Amino acid sequence: MKANEITKDKWIRPGMTPAEIVKFLRELDGVALTCTGMRDAGQSDFKNRHRIHDLSSLCPYYEDMLLFSSECHGGARWHVGIMNRKESPFEEIEILREKMPSVMLQTLIRETNLWGYRPYPKNVIEYVVERVDIDVWRCFSFLNDVRNMRTVAEIVMKRNRLFQPAISFTQAEWTTNEYYLSVVDDIVSLCGGVDEIVLCIKDMAGVGSPERIRSLVDAIKQKYPDLIIQYHRHATDGLAMPALLAAAQAGAKILDAEEDSLTRFYGQPPILGLQSYLEESGIPVVLNRDACVKAVQKIRDWIGHYEWAESPFKGFDHQVTEHRMPGGAFPSSFEQAEKGGFLHLMPAILKLMSLYNKIVKYFDVTPGSQITWVTCSGIINKYEKEQGETGVKHVIELLTKFVEEKNQDFDAMDPKEQEELLQLFRHAPGDFKNLLLGGYGRLPQGWPADWVYQSTFGDEWEEKIKERDDSSPLDSVKPDDLEKIKTDLGVTLGREPTDEEFTLYLMHPKDTVNYIEFREKYGDTPLVLPTDVWREGLKTPGDKVEFELQGKPYCIELLSIGAEHEGLIHVVMKINNKTKVYKVETPRAKKVEIRMAKGENEIGAPINGNVWRIGNPDRGTIKVGDIVHQGEEIANLEAMKMENAIVAPFDAVVEEIAVKLNDQVQEGQLLFVLKKRD
Amino acid sequence: MSENIKKMLIANRGVPAVRIMHTCRDRRVPTVAVYSTPDRLAYHVMMADEAIHIGEAPPIESYLNMEKMIEAAHKTKADAIHPGWGFLAENADFAEMVKDAGLKWVGPDPKVIRMMGDKIEAKRRAQKANVPTIPGISNVNSVEQIKEWMENESVDFPIMIKAAAGGGGKGMVKVSNNDELPMALAQAKSEAKKSFGDDTLLAEKYIERGRHIEVQIVSDNYGNVFHLFERECTLQRRNQKIIEEAPSPSIDENIRHEICYTAIRLMREIGYNTAGTVEFIFDSATKRFYFLEVNTRLQVEHGVTELITGLDIVGLMMDVVENKELELTQDRIHMNRWALEVRVNAEDPKTFSPSFGTISRLQFPTGPWLRIATGVYEGADIPPYYDSLIMLIMTTGRTREGAIKVMDRTLSRNLRIEGVKTLTPLLLSIIRHEAFKRGEFSTRFIENHLDELVSMFKEKDTQDEVLKIAKYVAEITALGPQEWM
Repeated sequence: MKANEITKDKWIRPGMTPAEIVKFLRELDGVALTCTGMRDAGQSDFKNRHRIHDLSSLCPYYEDMLLFSSECHGGARWHVGIMNRKESPFEEIEILREKMPSVMLQTLIRETNLWGYRPYPKNVIEYVVERVDIDVWRCFSFLNDVRNMRTVAEIVMKRNRLFQPAISFTQAEWTTNEYYLSVVDDIVSLCGGVDEIVLCIKDMAGVGSPERIRSLVDAIKQKYPDLIIQYHRHATDGLAMPALLAAAQAGAKILDAEEDSLTRFYGQPPILGLQSYLEESGIPVVLNRDACVKAVQKIRDWIGHYEWAESPFKGFDHQVTEHRMPGGAFPSSFEQAEKGGFLHLMPAILKLMSLYNKIVKYFDVTPGSQITWVTCSGIINKYEKEQGETGVKHVIELLTKFVEEKNQDFDAMDPKEQEELLQLFRHAPGDFKNLLLGGYGRLPQGWPADWVYQSTFGDEWEEKIKERDDSSPLDSVKPDDLEKIKTDLGVTLGREPTDEEFTLYLMHPKDTVNYIEFREKYGDTPLVLPTDVWREGLKTPGDKVEFELQGKPYCIELLSIGAEHEGLIHVVMKINNKTKVYKVETPRAKKVEIRMAKGENEIGAPINGNVWRIGNPDRGTIKVGDIVHQGEEIANLEAMKMENAIVAPFDAVVEEIAVKLNDQVQEGQLLFVLKKRD
Repeated sequence: MSENIKKMLIANRGVPAVRIMHTCRDRRVPTVAVYSTPDRLAYHVMMADEAIHIGEAPPIESYLNMEKMIEAAHKTKADAIHPGWGFLAENADFAEMVKDAGLKWVGPDPKVIRMMGDKIEAKRRAQKANVPTIPGISNVNSVEQIKEWMENESVDFPIMIKAAAGGGGKGMVKVSNNDELPMALAQAKSEAKKSFGDDTLLAEKYIERGRHIEVQIVSDNYGNVFHLFERECTLQRRNQKIIEEAPSPSIDENIRHEICYTAIRLMREIGYNTAGTVEFIFDSATKRFYFLEVNTRLQVEHGVTELITGLDIVGLMMDVVENKELELTQDRIHMNRWALEVRVNAEDPKTFSPSFGTISRLQFPTGPWLRIATGVYEGADIPPYYDSLIMLIMTTGRTREGAIKVMDRTLSRNLRIEGVKTLTPLLLSIIRHEAFKRGEFSTRFIENHLDELVSMFKEKDTQDEVLKIAKYVAEITALGPQEWM
């Protein structure tokens, strides 16, 4: 079918089988587009802070845009959602499904690392992948270790959803067409042929030059003419448009782009420009331009609210072909550097990265990019702390000499330099060590040189080398006890967790608990508030925010903000015309700490009340050091004229009495610490 | 000879004080409120024509301080005192002091209060009037004494230890086995002393799954004794009533007739001369009822009787004090609807622990078939020293089902209290419970069904949800963008 004959009712939609989708694409004359506006665009240039409240305003246009898919899920969006935006990836899907039912929803998943940063056991992968309602599953391995994709592939294909295995692409002397064809061979064999998958070339740093990409796509198409290829590329090097055209000319069927109004430097290229460029070059594009223009325009309504989230590092960076920092990691790396106060060291860190990735070879994409980042920024920071600017310069020179002059010949270095290299990775993070030992799977070019092990593990290096295991984490990571983890979460929450909460918890336990507590306290706030109010509140008296909640309109209006007094600020607001005063504690508020009883030796108050007696009438007052007997009354609380005896649960010595006579105590507050007597 | 009340001092606070002031206002009798220090801005103080401070927060220094009350009446030139319920309402010494001070006492004769306040004497009087009573033992001092009585009269556990001077659930402890006896006895004694200043105790057989039915009586100084039908007060928590209704769904016309005339017989026997209540425990298995006690005062739940009969019980009490003959005849007292009352206490609905603080929002329910008796207003403080009752909600219907529907509408949509926790979610769960709707419940209903009732609490309420959002907006407005964003 010709691209310009496509209409909404004759287009790919959720519910189609993978085989139907592939067949449809094979017969399509032209290219289709995946819009990354709802995920990668935000991740690459806005620290993943784009809120579903704003993104979902695009749904009516997406519904008509004739996209192959909307990449709206996964990557770091999952984690940043619960950690920063306080949105659950599950509720996001629910909202998008309701507002754009005809659009295929796409995720990005990191094989065994799922949406976290370490390899999860097979039973966790199965549990998670079975529960997420996504149509297109783009799955990549930062090691191009296709074995690691097996479990995700099996479950996605069993669910009749489209599996999209990705090859991680970079520019290096070893990343030849032959190398990639061997990866594609593995993929085709894993997926049982080419009829039910779309292959993705994932150029996550934006480093593929147009001719390099043309050659790669062509090589794959030569070997697998029926394989549908999608090219995903970041714009970092400034060459995205011609590279995408080259891919399409060589036979790529689907390309990734984002709304023009979202484009900055590190995400995908602008969708309207791309369409126009491809069509001028004779390649028809499936895209409803009118709807797309409206979406681009709609973004301008809210994109100004995210200026604070943009990367402080501005402009394209062709040096990316050396340091290879992926687009998705740009803003978060610069954010960390800014927070850590070492933004000025970024040029040195990027330079070190370009040398490091010649020593330890893998692809700079999650979790590899984090390992690279933590390892390299750690080394530079260490040198700066110990020897200042000179030290930073020195380590760069040392490695430049080692990599570029001496071609990594360890023995060719001076003894003193060797000594230094053998200390280089001594403080490397645990994930780096795990990588060297095969915890993530097989490295694409084999294990690094022995000196790297000596440098990392010191005296134990030979033993560690014996421990190396190049089997897939799917075979080496032991299963988690899901029931027990669920019970633990239940204890933390004080109630049964939902399946969705548990799924989040499996990957990000601490952040999930914080997220759940936030939502219990603030309800649907993250979903209903516009972004300016979400971030800054109401500014001046008379400002109001209007929203809908459970089908009814609400309005919150600011009447006044008081000055800070003893750590308190009074905020007066009208909520649907009713005035309410809020006392907000500032960080300077005096905290009266109330100790709560924990564990069986600590006796807490069963109710709110007044401690009117410590001890009992028979023996009088009880003191620290006294021996009390099981069932003996040790204190009495009174509330609203009712008495409540506190009895010793076992024979014990009183270790501490945490309250005084006539104290007003709250429920659960610590009264006694007892020590059991045998 | 009639002597009209010129000015009424109400020796109480909260809901009862406000209730009495309403009738006084209807009759154009000026009112005087009394208040303790924390009650300076309480609702009953605002409602009165004038108000006088009577002491510090602890009840013993204020609302239980008899000398201060008399002094306050003299100072304000009040000529009558209504004690409401609770505090000094059943204190015979106080009633005597009022009378001795030349003031009108809106309540029964002090001798009657004393007689009925002594549970042992009350029981003896009941037996004399041929009113059935529960097996029991008086003047309990020791565990041995109770054990001996149980053996001699072949009484089995559970039993109830009560303050002889008690009422309102205070100083009452249920005992299920021998092991609990010593501590239960000590607790009852201590509570009795604290609440009533008298630690005389009695013990009785505890009737399991008994239903609590009481008959409202009004009588005057001319020998007229009328009943205003019965109330069902079975739904209790730790012996405190929380839902009451009139008439009782537990009894038929024959038993109603019998129980009401038994109550009249007893009140006539003791020479009762104002509004009062005879409480019975009704064993629904055997259809037998036993005398429990006489409440020689206005009761919390009197409103439901007013709603079904159209009579003003506080007004009738004032008529009696003014020495008027009640213009009633028994055959002209009819009930023409069903009435239901819930007690909105400031307590956690799951744990029942009291909730003090400021009522930051109070939206009163409105709508047909509804009566509200409040003791608070929006912005009021609930101090920790007194009873947790803040509001009574009464609804009526042509049938019981109708009254329940109105209550459901009222509690689920109309009422809004913020700042303190209230029993409202629990009350709503109870009236929605199938057993309650069928009228099948006992005094242990709440204890037996607590988990189920709590699970029926509505998970999300849009008003609560929007307040969570508002809280967030307030915090960010005050503090600006947060680190975690």
